[in-house]
Amino acid sequence: MRILLSWLKDFVEINESPRELADALTMAGMAVDAVESEAGETVFEFDITSNRPDAMNHLGMAREVAAIYRRPLRAPCTACAESGPPAASKASVAIQDPDACVRYVGRVFTDVEVRPSPDWMRRRLELCGIRSINSLADLTNYVLLEIGQPTHAFDLDRLAGAAIVVRRARHGETLVTLDGEDRDLTDGHLAICDAEMPVALAGVMGGRATEITAETRNVLLEAAWFRPSVIRNAARGFKLFTEASHRFERGADWNAAPQAADRIAALLARTGPGQVLPGRVDCFPRKPKLSRIRLERAQIRRHLGIQVDDADVEGILSALGFEPSSDKSGWSVPAVSHRLDVERGIDLIEEVARIYGFANIPATLPSVGAAPEPTPQAAEDARMRAAVRGLGYDETIGFAFISSDEAERFGSGDPVSLRNPLSQLWDVMRNSAVPTMVRALEWNLRRNQPFVRLAEFGRVYRRAGASYEEPGVLTLGATGTARQTSWAEPAREVGFYDVKADVAALLAPFLQDAPSIVTEGVPSYYRKKHAAGLRSDGEVLAWFGELDPELARERKIRQAVWVAEIFLERLYVKGLRRPTHGKLPKVPAVSRDFSLLVPDAIDFASITEAVGEMPDLDSVEPVEVFRGKNVPEGSYSLLLRAWWQRLDESLTDEEVNGFAAELRSRLQSRLGIATRT
Amino acid sequence: MSIERKTGRPIGDLIREGDDPEQLYGELRAAFERECSQAVTPQQGQALRDRWLGRRSGLLSATNDHWLKAAPRELKPVVGKLQNLLRRDLEAAVKAAAEATVRERVQAEPDLDTTLPGPERSYGAVHPARLALEEVLDIFRPLGYTVAEGPEIETFYYNFEALNFPPDHPAVDEMDTLFLKDGALLRTHTSPCQIRIMESKSPPLRYVVHGKVYRNDTPDATHSPMFHQLEMFAVDESITFGDLKGTLEHFVRCFFGPQTEARFRPSFFPFTEPSAEVDITCPFCTGSGCRICKQTGFIEVLGCGMIDPNVLRNAGLDPERYQGFAAGFGLDRFAMLKYSIDDIPLMYQGDARFLRQFR
Repeated sequence: MRILLSWLKDFVEINESPRELADALTMAGMAVDAVESEAGETVFEFDITSNRPDAMNHLGMAREVAAIYRRPLRAPCTACAESGPPAASKASVAIQDPDACVRYVGRVFTDVEVRPSPDWMRRRLELCGIRSINSLADLTNYVLLEIGQPTHAFDLDRLAGAAIVVRRARHGETLVTLDGEDRDLTDGHLAICDAEMPVALAGVMGGRATEITAETRNVLLEAAWFRPSVIRNAARGFKLFTEASHRFERGADWNAAPQAADRIAALLARTGPGQVLPGRVDCFPRKPKLSRIRLERAQIRRHLGIQVDDADVEGILSALGFEPSSDKSGWSVPAVSHRLDVERGIDLIEEVARIYGFANIPATLPSVGAAPEPTPQAAEDARMRAAVRGLGYDETIGFAFISSDEAERFGSGDPVSLRNPLSQLWDVMRNSAVPTMVRALEWNLRRNQPFVRLAEFGRVYRRAGASYEEPGVLTLGATGTARQTSWAEPAREVGFYDVKADVAALLAPFLQDAPSIVTEGVPSYYRKKHAAGLRSDGEVLAWFGELDPELARERKIRQAVWVAEIFLERLYVKGLRRPTHGKLPKVPAVSRDFSLLVPDAIDFASITEAVGEMPDLDSVEPVEVFRGKNVPEGSYSLLLRAWWQRLDESLTDEEVNGFAAELRSRLQSRLGIATRT
Repeated sequence: MSIERKTGRPIGDLIREGDDPEQLYGELRAAFERECSQAVTPQQGQALRDRWLGRRSGLLSATNDHWLKAAPRELKPVVGKLQNLLRRDLEAAVKAAAEATVRERVQAEPDLDTTLPGPERSYGAVHPARLALEEVLDIFRPLGYTVAEGPEIETFYYNFEALNFPPDHPAVDEMDTLFLKDGALLRTHTSPCQIRIMESKSPPLRYVVHGKVYRNDTPDATHSPMFHQLEMFAVDESITFGDLKGTLEHFVRCFFGPQTEARFRPSFFPFTEPSAEVDITCPFCTGSGCRICKQTGFIEVLGCGMIDPNVLRNAGLDPERYQGFAAGFGLDRFAMLKYSIDDIPLMYQGDARFLRQFR
């Protein structure tokens, strides 16, 4: 909203510099975005909040200035010479929907001549960003900017029956609005009609058939008050947003309607030519009742923390156009039609506070209140985040939207769909965070990043009966080299076992016992036999592996990309394992190596299972896995190392030899594997 | 045992009459010297020491048990002397060998170019929005605030109605809000948590709520359909606007630096009254005016106010008894201001080059 300094000065004395005035208004809640100097005129650009339609004009803004500096406000001059027969004898007004149209004021001007407006008026309009049209249209715009009341001028001779009827449109009625559009009306629209048909869309735009033209001689001027919701619905419905609808839908002032009509009459009489017929045709069937607002002195202190002097309270409220009457404990303040946003005591406190100045309210600190509660799972989350960082994954955050196609391939169940998605690629809430991670990996591959490790802590979304669940999930993404390449060590591609090791490390702090590996039921977006899961207490806690190369190829990813999903909602409820100290052995462990030739069908988990439990057996680990030269097709060679340990005494060679023989015999009898020597 | 074969006479064989202890110990000594000459690395040195001088199972303690203790009375003095001599020499030799291996190792190794970089190992980055969040929480936790999150999929009631939005408020529109097909919506702010917490807990309340929020905005340099918001609120019997000012002044000084000044400007939100927007002295030019603050010296950073009595009432609290303040802001914006990020999309692309700057 553009406001001219000179125009403000018509209504209130201003001695401050434009900058000072701008700061004072800003600190009173009328935010000045810019102060410009144009052709010797100071123009303020305001950003006015939607609750303050009263300030979206010069008189209203002048009222703010008057309140800030406690100066008198001068009303615009509405005195004018009237002549001829009474207006009511030349035109009639009837309101059929008094709920939607609370007041309708008509004034009649005769023998007008449409011509260009005087220079001073054109100048003000143009500085405010309004194009000058003709003397009558300019008058209505001028008063809109001055008082804030939208008005409309009809060619009276083209109104059938010289009548205005405010009613709901009938189904099938149409109206060609001033912009030339033919609009179909329904009973949802409030129409300004003549004796026969709609001539304007109330509060939004006039009609072509009755608009002011060069031939217009007699004019009916409308100044009305329409219910905001009615205007908003009409403007939205037609996507037709005008200066008038902007004000009406935020709430105009029914008492400004006669003032605006009179002001236009006065200006017309001054700029001429034309005759102002005596009196208004004022249709105001049900005067809305305004309440009396209670403002308690103690409440001001209670909310603001300070006591504002009575004189300041009264001075501020009076300057804003209220009429407070004081009593023992506070004030009784009748609500006013130009400030329909002020209905309650707290609203008045806000008015007092903003004019008194937020800066004048001293800053204090509240007491602590109650002891803060620990955030559920905060320790678990903190540990997990630290571990993810420690493993070198960079934290990323992606949008929670995916496409329904992705939801089908990566998730299960009916996805949570958006009614008004931003795009078809983002039409559902993700039921898997893997597509989000794949997009991020893709982004980096397209930028030739040779080493990528990403982690995202986020949610997935799913239905749970009539409601929704948003379980947390940690997604890892890895591609490229296993480490940042360096002259100091040979480069190697990241692989399945790197990701598996990372996942196992992340799960470990939550588990009492090592998780078991899951090789069946791995989701299909992972590459077969290149992915697995980890399970504990019968629940899968994580899936991880190579993204299905077909899916990757569709996204133009040619190299292997690795992802892992860790289901935090299943993991965090376990809580962090409480570490307990076990005795450290006093003597070193003893190992024996076993060279095995294993058929491909037997995996490592089967071998450890076959070895099973054994007294003093500490661990069994693979030292080398080899296929190829000197190893028969369909088999692999495995160097297995077993460690034995007794807490506080050494194992003798004889004992360990016995253990090793037992181990060999188990592999032989349970899996048919002979150890090679 | 293979080791013992090398010593000539198995140690398990006791010394008998007629044996020549000198010869037996000499063979043992010769075996030791052979092994000693082969122990080059520190590990081999340690193995040598363990094998010969190990307290329980070393060869020397074996000779002590089998040869000395079991020796016939007349041979005992000779064997005892030889045993002691051997022990002394072995200890000296082992020590000398250990020292020699260290010296040899050091001599064998070339000088290093210590200016070459080590292979890069680094902590992963913390996302800037998370980084900002952690900083904010570190400021509010000591003030007694409880940290909470809430559902991102919300009902119309919690997101708008309970927060005193008039039913035809522009924000309620599909133009601003993302709706689900069944009428639920993606929360447009973290304020619904205010209601949920006030409904389930009794004052005094001091809460920080944070999380993702959504708007129907096509992404560009300054808009994002998803971003992070943080909201703090306090409800008690005597919370004042002055308390709100004091709390936020403390907060912005902690976050943006001690020289930061906060300016409270009256504004309008449906859920607070009085409402204010907080401008801080521009952290880039410290208030003297620059491109970022459009020469004003101030940057708008958050919205706040006293919780509207209607909101308290909607959440089941008696506004005659309780009152409170609330403040909310975009964590992304805070992160962008603090870490000089000029483009919102960077926050959500997952570009490793961007993220690594926050390691």
